This record gives sequence, structure tokens and C-alpha cells, in this order.
Amino acid sequence: MTAALACSHLTVSYDGNVALNGVSLSVGSGQMIGLVGANGAGKSTLVNAVAGWSRGRPAVSGSVTLDGADISALAAHARAQHGLLLVPEGKNIFAELTVDENLGLVRAPRDVAGRHVFSIADVFNLFPRLTERRTYKGGSLSGGERQMLAVGRALLAAPRVLILDEPSAGLAPRLILDLLERIRSLVDRGLPVLLVEQNVKAALKVVDHLYLLERGRIIAGGPTTVMKSDARIVEAYLGTLAVDRA
Amino acid sequence: MNLSQQIVNGLVLGSGYACIALGWTILLGVARLVNFAHGQLYMLSAFVTWYAMTRAGAPYWAAIVIAIVVLSLLGALMQLAMTRLVIEQNLTSLMIVTLGLGYVIQGGGALIFGGNPQTLSSVLARTKVDAGALWFTWQDVLVLAMTFVLYAAVWLFVNRTRFGSVIRAVAEDPRLAQLFGINAKLVYLGVFVFECAAVALAAALVAPRAPILTSMGFNEVIMTFVVVVLGGIGSIGGALLAGLGLGMFIAFFGAFVAPAYTTAAAFGMLLLLLVVRPVGLATK
Ligand SMILES: Nc1ncnc2c1ncn2[C@@H]1O[C@H](COP(=O)(O)OP(=O)(O)O)[C@@H](O)[C@H]1O
Ligand SMILES: [Mg+2]
Repeated sequence: MTAALACSHLTVSYDGNVALNGVSLSVGSGQMIGLVGANGAGKSTLVNAVAGWSRGRPAVSGSVTLDGADISALAAHARAQHGLLLVPEGKNIFAELTVDENLGLVRAPRDVAGRHVFSIADVFNLFPRLTERRTYKGGSLSGGERQMLAVGRALLAAPRVLILDEPSAGLAPRLILDLLERIRSLVDRGLPVLLVEQNVKAALKVVDHLYLLERGRIIAGGPTTVMKSDARIVEAYLGTLAVDRA
Repeated sequence: MNLSQQIVNGLVLGSGYACIALGWTILLGVARLVNFAHGQLYMLSAFVTWYAMTRAGAPYWAAIVIAIVVLSLLGALMQLAMTRLVIEQNLTSLMIVTLGLGYVIQGGGALIFGGNPQTLSSVLARTKVDAGALWFTWQDVLVLAMTFVLYAAVWLFVNRTRFGSVIRAVAEDPRLAQLFGINAKLVYLGVFVFECAAVALAAALVAPRAPILTSMGFNEVIMTFVVVVLGGIGSIGGALLAGLGLGMFIAFFGAFVAPAYTTAAAFGMLLLLLVVRPVGLATK
């Protein structure tokens, strides 16, 4: 069976400085894959390269396939139209547009074969908070509401695969797990998700499979149950006590 | 000097300024791009309209359509040449490139159309409205009406349609728009073509008022610049208000102070207003 999303030998450099070095990974259908690593490890560089997108000027080599089709040559907007939806780190909604206008920018394609279709009602069911904010400008939303809006608009595009780059950044700790669990509920309905997360403990509660990235290379990866007790994960991210409590 | 005649003159002048500035307001305000070839495009549009009427025998309305088509094509070519600068929002280079293109258009215009003043004659421009002592033509009425209609239509389009949201999204963050599946380059192309089509329509409407010259572009770009900045960069309502305000100011200044210094006075007013109210007339 082909993976929903796969990248192989992705290498990215900025002005000749290598930020990602020959990374390969795949996301199976109905799977939630976690990607963790220290600040500057190259997580965003990796998911941005997969989406063919950047705010900088990266030089990218390697290939990306989506449901078996090679999309390496497509521009970012075309990859989004093909169902590869990235919610980037940082600013990921339009501040000067209202919630409704942000959501209205996106249209599901006519041919939805192989796509996971979500209606606007699905989005409001998933994030009831957004319902009360429909006429507010994006710029006036709280951090959590912005993430909900960013995920919501990605869902409306009928994704094949959803990639989330640190959706919990700036969220209060008690909201992080709540958001991740809502996203997990989408995976349980069949949507493949690649999640970049700095809160490793929270990520381990929802993902099926975890990759650890360090200095532009994947240095460990495996099923969550195994990775939970991986020495590198425990030492760097959980601390010995944390495992006992988890 | 008749006061009500000066108000009429102000409205006539002002609606012309606003009409000519519409394309640039959208370009600058909505897509955050600049085009300092705007005045020369105005000149070219006037001459294309004139050429279509006098040399090809086209009726006025058909000449307007021809000017719009020609300028739209030219706009598309210009935008394609500038795509990289536009995506990078490199405004300094865009300013210089469009300024340069403006001079190329002016030189080309002089070569093709010659250096003599010409008259773009519209029947309406020769028919005076019967309104007692007040003097204005049906062309003036047409310009005023079209300006209000165009500004209203564009405002509704930008603020009340999905395409309008797409344009505003690209203006705010073209990179992010790509992740929403929006082809930002295509949107910029569309906005720039609109700018050129709008200037073509404005020229065909406004230019019949006075003799046209291939060297008139610079003055037009300056006045448009004043209107757009006064209006509060990007504000559609602000530009309409600023255009009308500038027209009133120039009519009164020309009538009561000194007609020779109106451009300088317009800039004086711009400076004064920017000191008092740096965001322009827009209230948002
Ligand atoms: N736009 C950019 N231009 C230049 N260097 C960048 C850019 N984005 C990231 N980098 C560099 O690439 C490396 C990886 O960054 P990033 O992918 O953002 O890491 P992470 O998301 O894991 O925190 C860092 O050394 C960072 O400085
Ligand atoms: Mg990052």
C-alpha cells in the first residue's frame, strides 16, 4: 500500500548552509505522525519543503509523493490544491480578514476522490469557539482561536494529508492537549496528519509514530510505545521522572 | 467670480482626479504595489482612443473598448516582466522600474503620435448642459456619474465578494495565500490588468476635456499620487473624497489666488495634511 505522504532524500539549504540533510519519512493513511526535535533542528524546514513553501529562499532537492503521485515539481499553491495542506508555524491566518472571510478563501475541489471532505458545519462542530467569532477580524483572535481558524481553513480544502507545524505554540498548557485530541479525532476518522510539536509529552499521547530530528537529520523514529522509552527522548524531552508519571 | 460655478468646477476637476486615481488606489491600497508609469499609461490610453477615433473611424464607445483592451494587454506584459519584484514586494525596485517604463512609454508615444497637441472629441464634451449661468458639459456629468458608479462597484467587489477577499489576502501576505491554494502571481496579474483597464477607461472619459499631449503623463502621475496619499493609501472611499477635495481646492485656489501655482499649492496642502493627519483622510 502506498503512503499518503512520503518524502525521500530531502535536502534543504539556506545560502549554502545545510539545514536539512537527506531526510526521508512517510505518513500512512489514517496515521498521525509526530516530528519532534530541539529549536533549530530543521522541523519547519522539513515540512515547508514538503509543501514546496517558504518565507525565505531555500534550495531544495529530493522528492515528495502524495498518494503515490510525484508532486516535487509543483508550486506551493498547486500542492495545496492537490490536497497537501500545511498550517505553517507563526502567522498562519489573515489578520485583516474576518473569520468567515478567512474560511471563505478556501474551496474544496469538484473531484473529491481520495480527499477527506469537511463542511463548514464540521469545522464549527470541531471548534465551537469559532462560531462566536465569525465576524471578528483574524487579528483580534487569541492564539488558540487563530490555530483553530488555521486548522479549520485547511480542513475546508478537503485535505489528503494535513501537516501542522507547532499548532500548540503560544497556547496555555491546559489547551495544548485539548487541541491535539481534537486533531486526533480527525485522524480516527481517516485523515493522515503529520504533526510538528515541541511539547513531546503531549505529542506522545496522540501520535502513532514519532520521529526525532536533530541538526537536519532524523536520528530516531518508531512507534510511540517504543519511542516513549527511547533513551534520547527520555533524556532530552521527558526527564526520567516524567516517564513514571506519564 | 461666481461661487456656485467654482463648486461645479471643483466637482468636475475632482471627479476627474478620482476617476483617474481609481486603478492606482486599488493597486496600492489593495495589492500594495506601485506604478509610477500610471500617468504615461493615461497619456497612452488617451492617444489610443484618439487614434481609434480619428484614424480608424471608430465611434467613441468602441474606441473606449479598444483602449481598454490595448492597455490591459500592455499591463499584462508589464506585470509578467515584473513578477519576481512583485512577489518579493520589492517596492523600491518597482518604483524605479515603473518610472523607467513610464519614460519608455512617453518616448514611444511621442514617436508614434508626434509632439503636437490633439483633441479627443466626444459629442458629449461639446454639449453644454442648460443650467442657467453655470457652465459644464454632458461629458462632465458622465465623468461624475461614472466615477461614483465605478468607486461603488469596486468597493463592493473588494469588500463583499470572495474574489475581493482573495485580493485582500494576497495583499496582506502573498506567501501565506499560496498555502490557501491561491495563485498569488495570477492575482497580482489580475490587479495590474485592472489598474491598466481602469486608467484606459478614465482617460477615455476625462481626456476629451482638454487637448492631449504625449508629454502630459508626468502631471497626471503627480496628481494621482497626491490623491492616493491624501486619501490614505489603499482606502477606496478616501481616494474618492481626496479626488473631489483636491478638485475643489484647485478650482478655488485657481480662481481666487493664482492659477499658475495650483500644483505647488496642491503639494503644500498634501504636506500640511500629512503633518496634521499622517494616515490621510481615511477613517479606518
Ligand atoms: N528562512 C530562513 N533563512 C535562513 N535560514 C533559515 C531560515 N529558516 C530556518 N533557517 C535555519 O535553518 C535551521 C532550521 O530551522 P527551522 O527549520 O526553523 O528549525 P525548527 O523548526 O526545528 O525550529 C536553523 O539553523 C535556522 O536558523
Ligand atoms: Mg519550527
